Amino acid sequence: MLKDITLGQYFPGNSFIHRLDPRTKILIIITYVVMVFLVQNFIGYAALALFLAVCTTVSKISPKYLIRGLKPILVFIIFTGIFNLFLTSGEVIWSMGFLKITREGVRFAAFMVLRLIFLILGTSLLTLTTSPIALTDGMERLLSPFKKIHLPAHEIAMMMTIALRFIPTLLDETDKIMKAQSARGASIDSGNIFARAKAMVPILVPLFISAFRRADELATAMECRCYRGGEGRTRLYELKYGRVDFWGWVYTAALLAVIILLNITFGSF
Amino acid sequence: MIKLENVSYTYMSGGPFEKKALDGISLQIDPGEFVGIIGHTGSGKSTMIQLLNGLLKPDSGRVIIDGEDLSDKKTNLRNIRFKVGLCMQYPEYQLFEETVLKDICFGPLNMGLSKKEAEERARFAANMTGLPESLLEKSPFDLSGGQKRRAAIAGILAMEPKVLILDEPTAGLDPAGRDEILFKIRDMHKRMDLTVLLVSHSMEDVAKLADRIFVLNSGKIEMSGNPSEVFAKSARLREIGLNVPQITRVADRLREAGADIPPGIYTTGDAYRILLPLLNKQNKQIKNN
Ligand SMILES: Nc1ncnc2c1ncn2[C@@H]1O[C@H](COP(=O)(O)OP(=O)(O)OP(=O)(O)O)[C@@H](O)[C@H]1O
Ligand SMILES: [Mg+2]
Repeated sequence: MLKDITLGQYFPGNSFIHRLDPRTKILIIITYVVMVFLVQNFIGYAALALFLAVCTTVSKISPKYLIRGLKPILVFIIFTGIFNLFLTSGEVIWSMGFLKITREGVRFAAFMVLRLIFLILGTSLLTLTTSPIALTDGMERLLSPFKKIHLPAHEIAMMMTIALRFIPTLLDETDKIMKAQSARGASIDSGNIFARAKAMVPILVPLFISAFRRADELATAMECRCYRGGEGRTRLYELKYGRVDFWGWVYTAALLAVIILLNITFGSF
Repeated sequence: MIKLENVSYTYMSGGPFEKKALDGISLQIDPGEFVGIIGHTGSGKSTMIQLLNGLLKPDSGRVIIDGEDLSDKKTNLRNIRFKVGLCMQYPEYQLFEETVLKDICFGPLNMGLSKKEAEERARFAANMTGLPESLLEKSPFDLSGGQKRRAAIAGILAMEPKVLILDEPTAGLDPAGRDEILFKIRDMHKRMDLTVLLVSHSMEDVAKLADRIFVLNSGKIEMSGNPSEVFAKSARLREIGLNVPQITRVADRLREAGADIPPGIYTTGDAYRILLPLLNKQNKQIKNN
């Protein structure tokens, strides 16, 4: 169960995508998300699929791994599909009792499901090809103009770094505690909802305790090394835009143009 | 009886950080044996013992406990876990109840014992691990590290398993506490015919306690046998990041220096028996000269 979570999992590599500046990648992903919402017909999705397929091939990440990222939200995707399928009004094409499916419902459900899938696939590709550190570095730099209006860009980035850093640790810890309690005969996934909630106690209590302990230790360790926030802090690796970033933008702009063109030519749905 | 047949296990298979932790392990452990498991860090010891009570499922091969295949869907894993008590590495992080006593009772209560029975067993187990009665009503989070460790081990002992597996139970304990726990466990092993698997980085402890030793190296069984067989191969042990007990090293050096000492000395008791007559003889020679 815990193994399926690919959030924050990074595949080291040296592909074109890996070498993009994290700032570029974040901005491209934002553009990509806008495009996912901009698409109005299935041909547009075909263009997006092609875009993603090319990116994935270039990044040398196995598509199997990308698709695995969908697993945790599979239930959510299915529910979205079912709700839209049955609750959209329009021309009825099938009915049974109070359930009815409309032509518009089918289209709309397919649309929403595709939208979700494309959002997840795109953002997974970002986290799979960008180390958490690079990601938060890019975020900090992108947010730093807002420091003028007292946005604590460095602190936000630091909190995200720490949070991302600890996701795998906490998952590991949860796994270990679950094993230790199972070894004492705790049954975690059986019984009714109350029994299950009660069965969570032996896992959550040690988990929280260890999370607090870790937070405490980390704070002490940072203070020991004289951490005092972002003011005047220099960095080991400066971010630099390069030629790859230019080509990244050309590629994204091309896709944007194609999608707008498709929208104009084929209209919605 | 415990049997592993050609068992392999891989962490995160298919991912970029795939790690083959166990590679074709076969072994058999008979009831009533005291088995030591040694190996360098990351050799797969913890992985192997987690297969023995079904916490991990092998990728290939079979794990058989008392004739039941753990990969079989019909096998009731909970019953296996009551039979094979596993105390994980650094078990102090599993404590969660309000009081130490309640925490030790967690396992027995899961077995379906009455509260009274569970508490009786818990008190007995606490006594075995050397936890004083006065601590039992305290919160487990107020204990020291070593006391937490004892409480966690007691939590497994209280289930009275037929097989007891301990993953480095004494790491981080003081020497007196270490000996106390290990000797109580040996005592239980002898009196109640308990099968014990002890994972340890202390060659001395393993030498002193185990009837048989398995040496793991990078997910494979490098050698196995009784302590004198295993510790006779000191060169190979050193190559794979292990060592022999200190007293064995002393004996080896003395033999190299020309003393008449047989191989296979691995406890201070053996050394005492062999070295004392030698010393006496030498003393006599010195006096006679
Ligand atoms: N949860 C996990 N996820 C991924 N890899 C793991 C995990 N647990 C262990 N490993 C890897 O599997 C190998 C065997 O680990 P294992 O914990 O069995 O070693 P060990 O012999 O118990 O070591 P130690 O003496 O340090 O406790 C190691 O290389 C380790 O990195
Ligand atoms: Mg271990």
